[in-house]
Amino acid sequence: MNQPRIPLRKPTASSFALNLVLTGFLVLTVVGLFFLDSKKADVGQATLKALDDLRKMLFEPVMEHLNWTEAITQLGVTLGLSFLTTLFGAILALFLSFFAARNLGNVAIGNVLKAFVAVVRAVPTVLWVLIFAIGAGLGAVAAVVGMGFHTVGYLLKAYSESFEEIDSGVIEALKASGASWWQIVFQAVLPATLTALLSWTFIRFEINFTTAVAMGAAAGAGGIGFDLFMASSHYFNIREVGFLTWLILLTALVMEIIATRLREANRLQG
Amino acid sequence: MHQLKVVQLTKYYKQAQALAGLSFEVENGEFVAVIGRSGAGKSTLLRCINRMIEPTAGQVLFNGTDVRNLRNRDLRRLRTGIGMIFQHYNLVHRQTVLENVLHGRLGFKSDWDGIVGNYTHAEKQHALEIIAKLGLDQHTYSRCDTLSGGQKQRVGIARALVQDPQLILCDEPIASLDPSSAKVIMDHLRTICREMGITVIVNLHQVDVALKYSDRIMGVKAGTLVYDGKPDKLSKKLIHEIYGTETGDLIDE
Repeated sequence: MNQPRIPLRKPTASSFALNLVLTGFLVLTVVGLFFLDSKKADVGQATLKALDDLRKMLFEPVMEHLNWTEAITQLGVTLGLSFLTTLFGAILALFLSFFAARNLGNVAIGNVLKAFVAVVRAVPTVLWVLIFAIGAGLGAVAAVVGMGFHTVGYLLKAYSESFEEIDSGVIEALKASGASWWQIVFQAVLPATLTALLSWTFIRFEINFTTAVAMGAAAGAGGIGFDLFMASSHYFNIREVGFLTWLILLTALVMEIIATRLREANRLQG
Repeated sequence: MHQLKVVQLTKYYKQAQALAGLSFEVENGEFVAVIGRSGAGKSTLLRCINRMIEPTAGQVLFNGTDVRNLRNRDLRRLRTGIGMIFQHYNLVHRQTVLENVLHGRLGFKSDWDGIVGNYTHAEKQHALEIIAKLGLDQHTYSRCDTLSGGQKQRVGIARALVQDPQLILCDEPIASLDPSSAKVIMDHLRTICREMGITVIVNLHQVDVALKYSDRIMGVKAGTLVYDGKPDKLSKKLIHEIYGTETGDLIDE
């Protein structure tokens, strides 16, 4: 009863390479464990201490250097930062993505735009902020411009690919009835892709929120990130870090709920 | 003057020849069926008439003007006079029936009015009348993705009619429909032709439907016209020639 196994797909060069890489990672991970240099620390004790710190952070949060009003205000600053960058980025990206989408604009112009934003996206947001800080100085301005820049790169790709996925027949039908390019974009392309555009914009808003937290710490953009930086690196107060972490987590959760609700509402009403 | 006069129409896709010098005339109010195998050039022929596809050579005269000379605004004006109906309906699924029907008016509007969807009262009235005439008044405010295939195609017809066209081009309008919906659609097309005097040119796969509904049949094979005449003159032998089959019956219901 020993039947030969029937493979589901033919082995290819790329599947072989993938298996090779994954096996390599596995081997390196196992080997790496034997070369860990723990100095003279007792690994067991260190793990317990780390867990204890985590417990203090998450279950004994306190406010020491700021009060509720300040915390909420600073959270507002961070939210404002992410809102502004998403708004600016989305408007610019929407306008440019009409020209970048292969089924709407000139293919050559589209390729140039896509290549350009690929480069923009390849550089991390933090680096863009630091690059713009040369001109604007470290602070909120550099953060908004730098984060906005990366947002355009991200959303332009997302938007234009949403446009490319729409049924080409709809464009053909409106073109055949004599509609102009702008009319086709606003009467067919946008209504058909609205849910997708909203989703992408909200995902980017969430990304921008976490980035804005990091920018507060790394680029002096202010907001809750700066307080987090002060609590951890300046006051070494792990309980205050815990409080701020809870605040940020809850905000992210609320945003996620709002985003889901909006998407649902939009899907139902159309 | 013929409403539509096609002279030596030729189309190449790179090296491949799709249309090999077709010539014919269509009179006002005719119901013409174009039959032929898949890939014979039927769709290309239809789309060369309203310049959705750019012909390589030849002339297409619509009311005496050569459509190949038209640019931008003039081309758009030409297209407002020619409605088009598609196999896959090509509606915006997320919008209502009324919105989709009104899309047929976009070509008459300024860019801005079209962008914001600013339709006049008369246009809306006209659209509602057409929707009612096609028996869709129950669904005026339904989203198009809730409709059946036959209903979607009727929306497609309404969108073409709201243009007040002189000619309607139909590209396989019943190829995705069940027989009873297909009959409803073909009956509507014939009514449009008879009562409103609109010329209808329809690409069809189903020979029996073509024979039953049309005044005139054009058989296209490999980009050439192999038959052009009354349905009753079309012999079994000719049908087999058009479809490139040797003997036996074709599946035509």
